[in-house]
Amino acid sequence: MTPDALLAIERLDVAYGEIQVLWEVDLEIARGEVVALLGPNGAGKTTLLRAVAGLLRPRAGRIVWDGAPLDGVPASRVVARGLALVPEGRRLFAGMTVAENLTMGAYRRTDGRAAVSADLEWVFELFPELAARRRQQAGALSGGEQQMCAIGRGLMTKPRLLMLDELSLGLSPVAVDRIVAMLAAAHRTRGMAMLIVEQDVRMALELARRAYILETGRITRGDEARRLIDDPRVKKAYLGL
Amino acid sequence: MLVQELLNAVLIGGIYAAIGIGFSLVYGVMNLLNLVHGAIIMLAGYVTYSLFARLGLDPFLSIPVTMGAFFVVGYGLQRFVINRILTASVFMSLILTYGIDLVIVNIVLLVWKTDLLAVTPSYAGASWAIGGLVVSKIRVAIFVVSAALTALMYVFLDGTRTGRAIRAAALDKEAAELVGVDTPGIYAVTYGLSSALAAAAGSMLATIYTLTPTLDGIYLGKAFVVAVLGGLGNITGAAVGGLVLSFAESLGVVVLGPSYQEIIGFGIFLVVLILRPYGLVGRRFYAEI
Repeated sequence: MTPDALLAIERLDVAYGEIQVLWEVDLEIARGEVVALLGPNGAGKTTLLRAVAGLLRPRAGRIVWDGAPLDGVPASRVVARGLALVPEGRRLFAGMTVAENLTMGAYRRTDGRAAVSADLEWVFELFPELAARRRQQAGALSGGEQQMCAIGRGLMTKPRLLMLDELSLGLSPVAVDRIVAMLAAAHRTRGMAMLIVEQDVRMALELARRAYILETGRITRGDEARRLIDDPRVKKAYLGL
Repeated sequence: MLVQELLNAVLIGGIYAAIGIGFSLVYGVMNLLNLVHGAIIMLAGYVTYSLFARLGLDPFLSIPVTMGAFFVVGYGLQRFVINRILTASVFMSLILTYGIDLVIVNIVLLVWKTDLLAVTPSYAGASWAIGGLVVSKIRVAIFVVSAALTALMYVFLDGTRTGRAIRAAALDKEAAELVGVDTPGIYAVTYGLSSALAAAAGSMLATIYTLTPTLDGIYLGKAFVVAVLGGLGNITGAAVGGLVLSFAESLGVVVLGPSYQEIIGFGIFLVVLILRPYGLVGRRFYAEI
C-alpha cells in the first residue's frame, strides 16, 4: 500500500447473506486523484461503492481511509470523515426543494454557517440550472438537473473523495457532457479525489487518470486510463470498437 | 342545533388533528403502525388526573409536564425497543406495539383501577353565550392549544435542522444516511415528538371525557381514521383529516342520532380507503410533509 494513499482497500470480500459479490478486491486512490471503476453489469461496482460508503458491512478485508480503518463505521459517520457517495438513481429527497436537498448535504458539517452558505453559492454558480430552480421540488426537475442536484448535494458534504455511481444513466449525451464539464471544473477548484463508476466508459476514461476493471467480483486490471483506452481487449469489450 | 354541532365539531377537530399528526408522522418516517398511540393518549390523561387530584395542578398546566415526560418515554421506547424490529416483517411491529399497548393498559388498571375518573377544574362547565350558541371555554382552549402545537410541529419539521433530517429520513432512509443522518436517533426523536403530541392531547381530552381504561382503543381508532383520511404519512393531510372526521361525526349525530357517531367515522374511513387510499389531500407519488 502506498503510504500517502487517501483510500486503500485491501482484499475486500462483500456478500449479501450467502451470496458473495466481491472477492479480494484491492483498490487505491491517492489524494486528489480521479479514478474510474469499469466493468460489466452485475460485476459488483455498486456493491463496492456501498461497502466503502458504510451502507454494507464487508465480510473480510480492510478499508483504510486516510490511515484509519473505515470498516464497520456506519454510513452516517463515513460522510463526516470526508467520503461522499452520489448514489445510483440520484436518490434525491423528492418532496424537498432543491435548496433543501443541497442543504441536507451539509447536515454533518461543523465548519459553520458561513462556510456552508459560501459552498451553497459555489454549487449554484457551478450549476446555474439549479440556482434558477432553488425553490422548486426536486422531484419536478429534469433528469439532468436531478443529477446536478445529487452531485451538488454530494459536494455540499465537502468531500475529500466523491464517489459517483452511474451518473450518466438515463441522461442525454448533451446533459452528460455538461455534467462532466462541471465535475471537471469542481475538481479543478476543490481538488477532491473522485471514484467514478460508469457504463459510459469513454466518458469515465476522459475524466480519470487511472482505472480499474471489475469483472464478476474481482479486480482484473488496474492501469493508467490512456493505456486502457489503447488496449485492444478493453476497446473491444467496453468501447465497442 | 346544527350550527351548535358544527361549532363543536370545529373545536374538537383541532385535537383530532393533533392525535392524527403524531400517528401519521411515525408511519411516514419509519413505516410503523404504532398501536401504542392510543394508550399514550390515555395514560397521559391518567397522569393529568393524578397531577390535578393530588397536587392541584391545572390540566392545561400539566401539558408541558406530560409532553416532556412522554417525549422521553417515547424516545427511549423507539431507541431501545422498537428500532430493533423495524427491519423485520410488519407483523413483528404490530405484535410488539400491541404488546406495549397491553402493558400500558395494565399499568393503568394497576395504578388507577377501573373507576371512572374525571378531571374537573373550576372552569369545567364555563361557557360563553353568543347569539344563542353555547361556546364552551374549555373546548375553545383545547382548540387553541391543539392548533398551536400542530403549527409548532409544522414549523419544526419545515425550518429546523432536525426537522429536515426527519423529513429526509422519511423520504429516503439510505440517502439520508449518506448525508450523515443518524436514522436510529432520528427515529427516536420522531417517536418522542409523536408521543409528546399524543400526551398533550391526552391531558386535554381528560378535561372533557371521563377516563376509563378502554380509551386506548377508541383513541387509536381516531388516530388511524384521521391519518388515513389525510393519507398515511402526510402531515398536512392529517390536519385536514382531523377536521373531516369531527365534522362527519357531528353531522352523523345530528342527522342519524348519537349512537351512529362511530359508524360515520369508520364508514368514511372505509370509503376513503377504497376510493382514495392515498388520502383526501394526498398525491400519489410524492411523500410530502
